[in-house]
Amino acid sequence: MKTSPTVRIVAAALLIFLPAPLLIVIGASFSPGSILSFPPPGLSLRWYRTVLGEDDWIIAFATSAGIGVVAAVVTTLIALGAALALERAPPRIRSSAELLILAPLLFPHAALGIAFLSCLVTLRLNGSMLGVFISHLVLCAPFAYRPIALSLNQIDRSISEAAMILGASSRQAVTSVLIPMLRPGLSAALMFSFIISFDEVTVTMFLVGPEFTTLPVKIYSHLADSADPVVAAISTILIVMTSGIILILDRVVGLGIFVDIEEDARG
Amino acid sequence: MGVLLVVFAAGIAGLVYSSFERGASLYLDLLRDAGIRAVLIRTIVISAVTTLICAVLGYPLALFLARSRNRNLWLVLVISPWLVSIVVRTFGWMVLLGSRGVVNATLQAIGAVGPPLRILFTPTAVVLGLVHIFLPFMVIAILSSLLQMDKRLEEASQILGGSRWQTFRCVTLPLSVPGLMGGCSLVLLMATGSIVTPLLLGGLRDRMLGTQIYSEIFQVFNFQRASAMAVILLFVALLMVAPLRFAEGRIRKRLGAT
Repeated sequence: MKTSPTVRIVAAALLIFLPAPLLIVIGASFSPGSILSFPPPGLSLRWYRTVLGEDDWIIAFATSAGIGVVAAVVTTLIALGAALALERAPPRIRSSAELLILAPLLFPHAALGIAFLSCLVTLRLNGSMLGVFISHLVLCAPFAYRPIALSLNQIDRSISEAAMILGASSRQAVTSVLIPMLRPGLSAALMFSFIISFDEVTVTMFLVGPEFTTLPVKIYSHLADSADPVVAAISTILIVMTSGIILILDRVVGLGIFVDIEEDARG
Repeated sequence: MGVLLVVFAAGIAGLVYSSFERGASLYLDLLRDAGIRAVLIRTIVISAVTTLICAVLGYPLALFLARSRNRNLWLVLVISPWLVSIVVRTFGWMVLLGSRGVVNATLQAIGAVGPPLRILFTPTAVVLGLVHIFLPFMVIAILSSLLQMDKRLEEASQILGGSRWQTFRCVTLPLSVPGLMGGCSLVLLMATGSIVTPLLLGGLRDRMLGTQIYSEIFQVFNFQRASAMAVILLFVALLMVAPLRFAEGRIRKRLGAT
């Protein structure tokens, strides 16, 4: 069926609207002046030198990347375990367990921030990296669980049974049959978890301490005091990085995974 | 390993429960406070307006994507902002909307306004920022519903003489309502709980519940009041989303049955 002109116009306007602020940020990052402006009055790499020259930014970046990578790997492993365990569970147990895993999606993040903070205060982990890491695990869990459960649904389980009949141990059946077959789901889970963790700010800003901060929280607190193009420069670096991740995601699993996952969540 | 997750999720639930036990007086005080009531109402209005705009704008875009041949290309444009930090996107809006920003410069250049308009640090800016952040979620929710739909139903309607608008109103729209509702409840939840966007774009006067909670902890250090507000926030969010979820379930069941 043909789309009507109105629909086309709205769609075209939105396809310009959505990436617009990103282009502005990229443009503003090359500004030579110390006040943020667009279009930039000239071109300079001054603010990139500032970002790369200041240890604070590099440390915050490394912290976020570190937490992101470890959180992605651990969440994916936990989610794989959960998906395998729940696959054969009775439907009632399975659906209530899934509700619990997906629960972080159902709560407003501001409320979750407080919830984690008071949990961590009780455990004396507030302001520690471990605390941020643990809360990121919970926040990433739904995003890791859904693609894995989806792939597990799609594969033919009789293949791993066949492997066991042919004499593979159950461990071998998992490592050399099941995991390779689950690759699309596992890589989507890794990517999603990394992006969620690396990007998380609303909950994390409740949990960071005086000794360390993550990159998004540092960008936020920098923005709250001043609006110089340092933030634009670091944002541009991030935009380039995330675009790279999108490209890899498209190569490895295809972007259709986004739509599939939504279907799964509501199905 | 699954047990670990369940324990964490149960921990959250337990925490919410325990903050209810701290006594009702705290809640009564909060609800009697006119300032907090204003914040609460503002939160509800801003989230509702954001959700409505997302639905109205997101639907045509999803429809366009569903029927487009190079869907994946457009999909990249739609989700590209999604994968860049909320802080960065909000920052982009600060640059655009500021008194020396692109929007004001353009308006002044064409002579539409004299002194720069005050857009940044108003509720309008907050809604704009939130719509921008949440629109991709809405589009994807509606899109997946549209893609599941049997295309032949639309064709049948047209063959039977239905106009484009009739086909949309009687076939396409009703069949995609589950996706629309799902998208709405997602956006509503995220909008009520947002902190960063209202803090940066909204300024100090137009607080939302999320920003109020944040400043209660980090400026006033009143943990109990903040967690009571968090519970109120949770309650309000669930109250707003519950009818949508309920309706979605009913419609889904009906669609499944026919």
